[in-house]
Amino acid sequence: MSAPEPGPGAGAAADRLDADARILGAGTYAPSARLPREAVAEAWGRSRARGIDAVAVPEPDEDALTMGVAAGERALAAAGVDAGDLAGLAFATTTPPLEEEDLLPRLGAALGAPGDARTHYVGRSTRAGTRALRAARDAAAFPALVVAADAPRAAPNAPEGHAAGAGAAAVVLGPDSGSGAGLVGDAEVAADYPGTRFRRAGDADDGVEGLGVTTYDREAFTRPIRAAVDLLGDDADAFDPEKAAAFAVTAPDGDLPARAARTVGLSPDAVSTPVDTLGDTGAAGPLVGLTAALREGATRTLVVGWGSGAGADALLVDGLAPVEGDLDADRELSYAVALRRRGEIASDDPPAGGGAAVSVPTWRRSIPARYRLRAGRCPDCGGLAFPPEDACPDCHELVDYESVGLPSEGTVETVTGVSPDGAPPEFARQAERGGDYAVAIVRFERGGTAASVPMQVADADPESVAAGDPVRAVFRRIYEQEGVIRYGRKAVPAVGDG
Amino acid sequence: MTDAYIVGAGQSSFGSFPEETYRTLFREAYEAATPADLTPTDVDEAFVGTLGVGGRQIGLAGPAVTEHVGLHGVPCTRVENACAASGSALRQAVMAVESGMADLVLAGGVEVMTDASAEATKYWLGVSGETEWERMAGTTFSGVYAQMADAYLREYDAPRRALSAVAAKSHANGARNPKAHLGFECSIEDAETAAVVADPLTLYHCCPTSDGAAAVLVAGEGAARSFDDRVRVAGVGAASDRVGLFQRDTYTAIPASESAAETAYDRASLADPRDDLDFAEVHDCFSIAELLAYEDLGFCGRGEAADLALEGVTAADGDLPVNTSGGLKAKGHPIGATGAGQAVEAFDQLTGRAGERQLDDPERGLTHNVGGSGGAAVVHVFEAEGVTGA
Repeated sequence: MSAPEPGPGAGAAADRLDADARILGAGTYAPSARLPREAVAEAWGRSRARGIDAVAVPEPDEDALTMGVAAGERALAAAGVDAGDLAGLAFATTTPPLEEEDLLPRLGAALGAPGDARTHYVGRSTRAGTRALRAARDAAAFPALVVAADAPRAAPNAPEGHAAGAGAAAVVLGPDSGSGAGLVGDAEVAADYPGTRFRRAGDADDGVEGLGVTTYDREAFTRPIRAAVDLLGDDADAFDPEKAAAFAVTAPDGDLPARAARTVGLSPDAVSTPVDTLGDTGAAGPLVGLTAALREGATRTLVVGWGSGAGADALLVDGLAPVEGDLDADRELSYAVALRRRGEIASDDPPAGGGAAVSVPTWRRSIPARYRLRAGRCPDCGGLAFPPEDACPDCHELVDYESVGLPSEGTVETVTGVSPDGAPPEFARQAERGGDYAVAIVRFERGGTAASVPMQVADADPESVAAGDPVRAVFRRIYEQEGVIRYGRKAVPAVGDG
Repeated sequence: MTDAYIVGAGQSSFGSFPEETYRTLFREAYEAATPADLTPTDVDEAFVGTLGVGGRQIGLAGPAVTEHVGLHGVPCTRVENACAASGSALRQAVMAVESGMADLVLAGGVEVMTDASAEATKYWLGVSGETEWERMAGTTFSGVYAQMADAYLREYDAPRRALSAVAAKSHANGARNPKAHLGFECSIEDAETAAVVADPLTLYHCCPTSDGAAAVLVAGEGAARSFDDRVRVAGVGAASDRVGLFQRDTYTAIPASESAAETAYDRASLADPRDDLDFAEVHDCFSIAELLAYEDLGFCGRGEAADLALEGVTAADGDLPVNTSGGLKAKGHPIGATGAGQAVEAFDQLTGRAGERQLDDPERGLTHNVGGSGGAAVVHVFEAEGVTGA
């Protein structure tokens, strides 16, 4: 009996041509802290991650959702599309914050997308990013936002552990008649390659594993990719993949993408997924590579998603679209700090229950204020109330507020630092992983009035934050209680912000 | 309307007492405040302040301690206003007496704070803040006061050393108070160089968590005649405000204190607090709170509090001694007992019972009790018997 060979799945490329779409804008995000290769080598004697100089390490309050929101907001800004106008929303990740819970309602609420947008969630495989892109295109509910975000983890001394990075990218899709870059061609291939990259179920989940069967692994990566790209090339309306200027591909390490490039007739230099500086970004890899290619002005990008199992998707992006967000690093972490930050050496015990708990139903009532800084404008005196509840702070009338959004840019009014010892129990784990944090009162001005919000200042040394500093509100994890992750806005320093 | 008098006041030691319960601590205060021959049926009403830190006896905390001292059957109400709980309880007692509804009223408070783990204590202390926003931003109580300190030092270009001067003064006073939790002295340098709790506040700029109880007996003119010592309640004022600091117009003042003081001064016919008061017990859970109190209570103008502290105006031998007891900083801060405990110091000073801390014939003093970071405030003005309005 012959081994199963990669081949066309059900649904050939030609069937999907009607669903062609254009990319109106793209956004990208990565945590700004990096663990350099040398630090891993110092800890373990060598780095087992081929072709990776540094990996991005998420902050303790970052996860796939928060990174996805950051990328999504940037893509919307680049495309000039208001989240309230979205008709489609897709999210891809292999590392959702919870094993079971639909992420799309939270993503939509964080961005301000309508509740009746068509949503698609794709997970389980690093192919999720391109699958989400294809699903949103096929649904043809435009404008649609496609977000891919991932922060893979693995055993600290596994090759996958050394490679584990983090990042997110998003694109806004519009109809074929619009501006931006054409999303042309579509192909997928499935091929059964067990054991190439997998995670065990349930309690046995210690992150990504691979059996490390070298040749088998390479074939599991390159052969489905080659087959999908060939299929794409067969599409009469598609461009010759070999003439692509950039190759945005899933990148488990720095070696496999180059091999895949050669397999499909491209130079290894065409690989645009920044695996060398971000590490393995899992399902986000192809879209991160696409945004990097668009930023560099690549007019034709071959986008290929590979997923263990195995299989591949291939698409071609023709033309340019605006991109927001950079992937700059601003600091290097020691290996110990990186482990601590990832929670690998943090204590597991949840804090004891106690007095200041905010119930989930109570917290949920304030989601628009927490996720998007929705404030209230007094219809009587024009005063601004945050949160938009209680009597008007200015005229003291018990009014029904008009909902208004605070701007994302604000100014620190007063600030202090909280140490791990001084943190409330709900924040003990965050402080344990991330160290001291700053808590400020931030003033947001809107229409001649202002409202103040107590916020953590993330991604900043508390001692560097002072009254008068400009800050920007970002979507982050606040804390977890009863297993429920509470998200909300924090502030990050706005100076030098990308 | 009758005048109200404090005819007895006493407190337990403040500190850490693993052998005591909230009930036995209250008994110690009750016995110190009341004459041995007091018949329980003479007490018409009781108000007890407590926050219930650590979750103990949240329901019916008042009757739980009054029954323990034999006051079965007395109408008893628990008053909860965070750290202003027993200051508020005392005000309720004064109102009950002045209205004529009661002739002899017990006001007190109790808290046990040292028997919970450090983590659990932090959990419970946060309940006095704005839990839904401040707490969810990761702020502790010290964090909120640190934000006030940051704003104050910046707005008035004041030196952090002023906070340390307040702490050193409180410790100097507390060292002369046998009931104090932290009865040792500390230098300004000690306070300056101690570990940072929440920048710019160091450990010595923060009060301890304490166990303790305090009780005050308030009488109308009729009942007061049968007691040897009487201190007149010349004025009372109280106010509330937004619970969250971020919701207020200013971070460098506590408007509720200002408003409560205005009312109390008006009722006490007190024209100039700096001149007319002989001492004050102010709410100094953090040293910045004492500086803000100087200004909110009218001891000086805005931005001048640091000078008052650095120049020794508020030292025991200064022009206007503040916190002769050691204050919350050194005497201790068993939340529910603090306001009543301040009244105990005022009573002791005005009746010549303050021992080593005794001021030279003080005639008029003030107590100032704040809940949370300024969500509630209560101010009382007391006069030694025989003193008439200023």
